[in-house]
Amino acid sequence: MPQQTPEVYSVELSGTKDIVKTDKGDGKEKYRGLKNNCLELKKKNHKEEFQKELHLDDHKLSNRELEKKYGTDIITGLSSTRAAELLARDGPNSLTPPKQTPEIVKFLKQMVGGFSVLLWVGAFLCWIAFGIEYSSNKSASLNNQALVIRDSEKKTIPSEQLVVGDIVEVKGGDQIPADIRVLSSQGCRVDNSSLTGESEPQPRSSEFTHENPLETKNICFYSTTCLEGTITGMVINTGDRTIIGHIASLASGVGNEKTPIAIEIEHFVHIVAGVAVSIGILFFIIAVSMNYRVLDSIIFLIGIIVANVPEGLLATVTVTLSLTAKRMAKKNCLVKNLEAVETLGSTSIICSDKTGTLTQNRMTVAHLWFDNQIFVADTSENHSNQVFDQSSRTWASLSKIITLCNRAEFKPGQENVPIMKRAVIGDASETALLKFSEVILGDVMEIRKRNRKVAEIPFNSTNKFQLSIHETDDPHDKRFLMVMKGAPERILEKCSTIMINGEEHPLDESTAKAFHTAYMELGGLGERVLGFCHLYLPAHEFPETYKFDTDAMNFPTSNLCFVGLLSMIDPPRSTVPDAVTKCRSAGIKVIMVTGDHPITAKAIAKSVGIISANSETVEDIARRLSIAVEQVNKWDAKAAVVTGMELKDMSLEQVDEILANYQEIVFARTSPQQKLIIVEGCQRQDAVVAVTGDGVNDSPALKKADIGVAMGIAGSDAAKNAADMVLLDDNFASIVTGVEEGRLIFDNLKKTIAYTLTKNIAELCPFLIYIIVGLPLPIGTITILFIDLGTDIIPSIALAYEKAESDIMNRKPRHKKKDRLVNQPLAVYSYLHIGLMQALGAFLVYFTVYAQEGFLPRTLINLRVEWEKDYVNDLEDSYGQEWTRYQRAYLEWTGYTAFFVGILVQQIADLIIRKTRRNSIFQQGAFRNKVIWVGIASQIVIGLVLSYGLGSVTALSFTMLRAQYWFVAVPHAILIWVYDEVRKLFIRLYPGSWWDKNMYY
Amino acid sequence: MTKNEKKSLNQSLAEWKLFIYNPTTGEFLGRTAKSWGLILLFYLVFYGFLAALFSFTMWVMLQTLNDEVPKYRDQIPSPGLMVFPKPVTALEYTFSRSDPTSYAGYIEDLKEFLKPYTLEEQKNLTVCPDGALFEQKGPVYVACQFPISLLQACSGMNDPDFGYSQGNPCILVKMNRIIGLKPEGVPRIDCVSKDEDIPNVAVYPHNGMIDLKYFPYYGKKLHVGYLQPLVAVQVSFAPNNTGKEVTVECKIDGSANLKSQDDRDKFLGRVMFKITARA
Repeated sequence: MPQQTPEVYSVELSGTKDIVKTDKGDGKEKYRGLKNNCLELKKKNHKEEFQKELHLDDHKLSNRELEKKYGTDIITGLSSTRAAELLARDGPNSLTPPKQTPEIVKFLKQMVGGFSVLLWVGAFLCWIAFGIEYSSNKSASLNNQALVIRDSEKKTIPSEQLVVGDIVEVKGGDQIPADIRVLSSQGCRVDNSSLTGESEPQPRSSEFTHENPLETKNICFYSTTCLEGTITGMVINTGDRTIIGHIASLASGVGNEKTPIAIEIEHFVHIVAGVAVSIGILFFIIAVSMNYRVLDSIIFLIGIIVANVPEGLLATVTVTLSLTAKRMAKKNCLVKNLEAVETLGSTSIICSDKTGTLTQNRMTVAHLWFDNQIFVADTSENHSNQVFDQSSRTWASLSKIITLCNRAEFKPGQENVPIMKRAVIGDASETALLKFSEVILGDVMEIRKRNRKVAEIPFNSTNKFQLSIHETDDPHDKRFLMVMKGAPERILEKCSTIMINGEEHPLDESTAKAFHTAYMELGGLGERVLGFCHLYLPAHEFPETYKFDTDAMNFPTSNLCFVGLLSMIDPPRSTVPDAVTKCRSAGIKVIMVTGDHPITAKAIAKSVGIISANSETVEDIARRLSIAVEQVNKWDAKAAVVTGMELKDMSLEQVDEILANYQEIVFARTSPQQKLIIVEGCQRQDAVVAVTGDGVNDSPALKKADIGVAMGIAGSDAAKNAADMVLLDDNFASIVTGVEEGRLIFDNLKKTIAYTLTKNIAELCPFLIYIIVGLPLPIGTITILFIDLGTDIIPSIALAYEKAESDIMNRKPRHKKKDRLVNQPLAVYSYLHIGLMQALGAFLVYFTVYAQEGFLPRTLINLRVEWEKDYVNDLEDSYGQEWTRYQRAYLEWTGYTAFFVGILVQQIADLIIRKTRRNSIFQQGAFRNKVIWVGIASQIVIGLVLSYGLGSVTALSFTMLRAQYWFVAVPHAILIWVYDEVRKLFIRLYPGSWWDKNMYY
Repeated sequence: MTKNEKKSLNQSLAEWKLFIYNPTTGEFLGRTAKSWGLILLFYLVFYGFLAALFSFTMWVMLQTLNDEVPKYRDQIPSPGLMVFPKPVTALEYTFSRSDPTSYAGYIEDLKEFLKPYTLEEQKNLTVCPDGALFEQKGPVYVACQFPISLLQACSGMNDPDFGYSQGNPCILVKMNRIIGLKPEGVPRIDCVSKDEDIPNVAVYPHNGMIDLKYFPYYGKKLHVGYLQPLVAVQVSFAPNNTGKEVTVECKIDGSANLKSQDDRDKFLGRVMFKITARA
């Protein structure tokens, strides 16, 4: 536009001067009323046209008439006020500047012109990816209501409006609306599992029981749930000042660590940038010393740096990661942060929460003790085979007590749901007992109906037992049956006899001792033990019409008959032990970090293999040797159980010592802050740490960890938000899948990068040769872009589908700082071996095309300057023919296409060799990964389309290439494949040798 | 943790020194002498092999070629036009008739170009029959004479200054050589001035005729001494028109298979140049 401007105003000086008054028809000008002032000098050829519109007759008027017409005076001129008026009317006496391209449009043109479009498309894709990543992340907030006493009235208000000092009432089923100091409570129990990890409901009353606010009974925490009973309490903390808010802020205060793959990519970028800049500077110096102009040399420098950038690689990495993420999602690992896909693969320590992750998060009957014998109950997820001896008559009595002395009930309408999955009204232990009896005995409700309940005392914390009196289902037996369960020692106190093999025996020293041994043993397993006893009330004393009064206790509660013990635990998930073993063999240390009691934690750790069967803790050794704990050399033990209390007194060095020296560690009774300390300790050991958890208490650690894994079903929103990955089935075993996929993706990314880097040399060499030897440019920038962003994209993604070469779960996790994604052998082998071979092959195609068209290789040397001169239109070839500039340019494009095809054909070989790093292609199976063949097909099809379909579009500088040129580089491609097979063969034959060290990437 | 990661300058310098030469292990740039030796030996052998292989494949490729005629001629189906004296930067000639140094270069260039066309040089060439293609079967190929006198005023025979001193500069136009090209019809080169004010553009030989006897061309190796037919353009500047730039366009005309209209190739069968003559 600016170049054209002078033309508009140019004045033809030949002939008469024409002053043309025109209406340019520009709306803007009309609006401004500048019509008359717009004098335009027009070109000769437009003159006549405009003369028709000319209404100028001033040249015919005399001076006087002129004065009259324009209201002026020849002598005195216009008055200045009149002049100002006219100026206001007509506007300034200057030409309206032609409509110019607005600056913003120019700017936009710059922004989207040329290759910037590619960048914008990239940016746009980033937005889409961002959208996809975060659309699933929205968490709905529930609007909780709270019952509050204000103005001496009970009101329901939204819980957000609670203030400190409010008196609130909470009943079973409600969420605790704020941190509450309990004032009075009726049989209240809360579920604190999300906060502390304790799976059992915690009783709440107004007594102060513990120094630690988290453990005292008279405080209820915000966001926990009241399971049963009612409490009245005073709000002591609201919002972010609550314990949970504090933890949440702790979590948000923890900085996100860079993922290992991000570090690797950065390292890779450094390598590529280093190579690019050093080659660039080297050739800048060469170019300058070859008497190129400095400006040209700088252009070369930039060209070399750009040619070295693998444009398509980052996109490929993202797609590869998201493909794996998709695959993992199918296996119930939902990856929130793409880069986390690989992190799990490099994980060397997993800090796992116990409740809900390793365990099923429900109390289940684990052991029974009757007839002086401990029986093991099936604790697997479906309870399918209860194999203990059910023939004893003691069992018959025990099962009756279990069934009857239980207030829990199934929610109606669940007949078709498997028993273990049915929803139950009642606390965890009673639920466990109900399901246990339902599985073994069948319809519990029916049994209860037949044994009608006549009286009942529910469990409370003072008497610690539960009692009920039933009619029997034997119509001939008119006696009432009193059944009782409770804390074993309390139950035993009330008994005088014990049932063995269905016979009542007096309770003597030896049986009491047997009871205690069993009780200790089950307790030692970290299980919650209940005692059961019964008494048939004599029919004559308690006739059918007898009125039982639970307040007056008009029935005996002593001299009962002890029947048995039953212990419950939140059992490990059945898949966990196997998963832990797999982690072990994969060199991953599994550490349990829980808020639960040390005994329970240790028991679970033992049962899932976190503490293996033959390893001992310091305490175990002390007990075995009957010496004091202090006397044991603490490094003799392989395992350690550390409680939060102990951890509190430790220095960071001591924590490091424990983490470094013990193979098997359990942390119990830990607070959220301590979890954070543990994770940091692991990270100080250069470990990549995965943390699993479900509760709010886990969220700081989840965030601090290199990869946080939250539970999808049991997990709280806080945990899911803080995590990088969510296990949809809450199953620890899914982590193993994740590790496997993560390791595979790391291996495959290596292959992808090696594949992508290789052709960089083949793209760079032409430029270097062009500078030094002066050949006509063998490959253009656009052509390079078509390789990087066109033909190579699908094949490099296809490598992500490659199967593992060996059992990747049997090797150690990679060392964060030593086993790099892009290591020296990879770069050297890609650049200096395969890359160079590729460049030679592509040059062969290039030289073939030029030679067959008339330019022999020796003629091409130093031809560059003449070749590129626009006014040289008779450049002579080797046969004496003369070429115009355009004919040469067309040949140059044919050369580009030939070089492109040369690289393409050899990239197919490169793709095939990159399938494996160690194994032969034949061991791996050439056809196992079908996507590779899709990739090869895509490469060829894109190449064909570019050459034959778009060959006529000059801007793309592709031409239609003769079919035979596609085969010129095939011998080189075969050579690449053979060479790589030889490399792999030597690596397999001589592991650890010089060859292995230098050639295995 | 971040504090530990940031190494002091001294530390990193020491690390670099250790990398360059590590006295304890004897490593130089991360490798021992033996390792370097092995690596260098490996690359010597490997690159030697690659070089040999490349040379071999190139040799095989060259064996497929013919010494006399290129395998393909599809990319130059039609010849381009080119002018002499050889332009220095662009197709623009500027000279001053009163200053002989301003056109000395042009004359030098023309003389150099016309050297093969002197009678002396053409002594051994054949006199061919006019007006028809001169096809030969070999094995010896002869070249036809191009009598330089055909260029008349621009032959340099009578006027060693090629008209530059009179303000009537000569420009020679030649058609690119293409092996096997057989023009159809009666090819001639037509030159016109783009400016109406400079009417006087003369072409020699008469009408810019190109005789068919110079075709076809059999290539540098077979067709020794081949002379391309030339056409000279003489632009006559009137003495009052000095200092004006004149654009002249020459085109091949009269032959169906010699293209002179191509949107992309501005020199295919045509050439355009500018002349400015000063006093």
